[in-house]
Amino acid sequence: MDLLTMEFFRRALIGGALIAASGPLLGLFLVLRRLSMIGDTLSHVSVAGVAAGYLLGLGSPAAGGMAAALLASLAVERLRRAYKTYAELSIAILMAGGIALASLLFSLDRGFGVNITSYLFGSIYTLNDADLTAIAAVTAVVLAAVALQYKEWFLMTFDEDAAAVGGLPVRALNLGMSVLTALVIGVSIKIVGALLVSALLTIPAACGLLAARSFRQSALLAVGVAEAAMLAGLLAAGFWNLAPGATVVLLLIAVLLATLIFRRRPRL
Amino acid sequence: MRRAGTGFGNGRLFRFTAALLAAAMLTAGCGGAGGGTGGARTNGPEAGGGDGSAADGRPVVVTSIYPLYFLASGIGGALADVANLVPAGVEPHDWTPKSRDLARIAGADLFLVTGTGFEGWTDELLEGIGADAGVLIAEAGAGIELIPLEPDAGAHGRDHEQGGHRNGHGHEGAVDPHIWVSPKSMLKMAENVRDALIRVDPEHADAYEANHRALAGRLEALDQAYERGLSGLSRRDIVVSHRAFAYLCRDYGLNQIAVMGLNPEEEPKAQDLKRIVAFVRENGIRYIFFEELVSDRLARTLAEEAGAETLVLNPVEGLTPEQEAAGEDFVTIMEKNLQNLIKALQ
Repeated sequence: MDLLTMEFFRRALIGGALIAASGPLLGLFLVLRRLSMIGDTLSHVSVAGVAAGYLLGLGSPAAGGMAAALLASLAVERLRRAYKTYAELSIAILMAGGIALASLLFSLDRGFGVNITSYLFGSIYTLNDADLTAIAAVTAVVLAAVALQYKEWFLMTFDEDAAAVGGLPVRALNLGMSVLTALVIGVSIKIVGALLVSALLTIPAACGLLAARSFRQSALLAVGVAEAAMLAGLLAAGFWNLAPGATVVLLLIAVLLATLIFRRRPRL
Repeated sequence: MRRAGTGFGNGRLFRFTAALLAAAMLTAGCGGAGGGTGGARTNGPEAGGGDGSAADGRPVVVTSIYPLYFLASGIGGALADVANLVPAGVEPHDWTPKSRDLARIAGADLFLVTGTGFEGWTDELLEGIGADAGVLIAEAGAGIELIPLEPDAGAHGRDHEQGGHRNGHGHEGAVDPHIWVSPKSMLKMAENVRDALIRVDPEHADAYEANHRALAGRLEALDQAYERGLSGLSRRDIVVSHRAFAYLCRDYGLNQIAVMGLNPEEEPKAQDLKRIVAFVRENGIRYIFFEELVSDRLARTLAEEAGAETLVLNPVEGLTPEQEAAGEDFVTIMEKNLQNLIKALQ
């Protein structure tokens, strides 16, 4: 099929494959930390950040959004510690704050000079060299971080108190994860859109948690599922002229349903 | 956004949120105009249903979008107090009125709309302020032959068999709303605006006539520049990111091929992109147009794919703060559009 000769489509496949590796891997930790919705939260906060950036006269549209995502991610971490057993409360609060702030900024009577959301939420078909470099760099950092700190993050994710008692630098590890989360989500939202990012963080992890027997296995399964759905989804969307992000997400959900139906029943 | 796709539609979510907010303000009783946060106007809803003239007795005119503001402020001159609703730089598709806007319209003598369904919020808004507010609502587009929106209106080249594009704004009996993107229609609209101003302020009819003659002179010069500039060119096809140039194309014999439908926020699809790239290559098109208010990522992607370059073609839906500061207006932007069109079609 001659779509494969088109540069934009090849770039979409490459960028998609990269995000499908880093997103689910980071997502697995986030899901276990009860922060599944953080993708949506950070995307809303980014909109507020971009709007604020314009009003304050910052130059680049992306800078304000990225800064806001970073701040929000750190705030989530702070709130998460304050409400230990209700970690999801932190993202709900920031989501509300982000939407409210964005609405307020948009309702100010002066124009922004540009269509903010068009800068913030990209399409996977419009990746340029800078985007691909950014995705590749972020993916490399995520893979390296997980490879180097796999044990620490794993321990911390399941029992933060025990990890702290055991002498792990929990604070630094949490901080690292927050920064990484903001980086992955901030970069990917701009490149492929908020829908795809949120879905990649959560649905593959959901599949992995259902079907695997160990944490390592769920991580591998999550990445495998995401890669398969991404490539199949992009090809299907390309062939049948469908919206690419939506196609990939629906495929991910189909895989999740199949996993739910066919997983091994727990033995009794 | 579009704007490149917003994916699941965070843009939509935001508009929804904004709409909720506006609705909440509405039910709270339209009182919001008081404080006057940097507003050019101080006569709020307190002026109440009366004739709502400005404190100095000038008629108060509210326009829905920038091109109408350009006409009304040009023809009204110092005699009318003209304000525009959709602020500079905001995509009109994304805009919904807030409580202060309702108060503005309720306190106005004349509310100018395009009359194409572009201001989808007009009906609700008029219900909100009540029919007895004494506001004359004038359609600036009256008398212009509107171009109907067919799902397949040649927007995607000739071989577009899947008319999959939504009718942009989603209004029934849809027509293409971008009537102002042509000097010829602007000339007609200027007459309508003049007549409406004379109706609300007959005392100053002579001044409005004179201002109109001056403005019409500029628009006629623009029209002639377009006629001259475009007549000798052999190329006739323009590839644009947002389907906003149908009136321009009709009036000057061009043909627009749009990447996205009317709404710049749809997510692009691969076969559509491929078709446009093929069209660009086959016809040796050298430039792909994008508009300033929306991200140019899609245009750049296509241009790179097809070995073309990108140029700005501004649908003049608003001015950016920079353009405003630089003293740009409808005519100067349309002059730039003409230069870019000539460059692309040579």
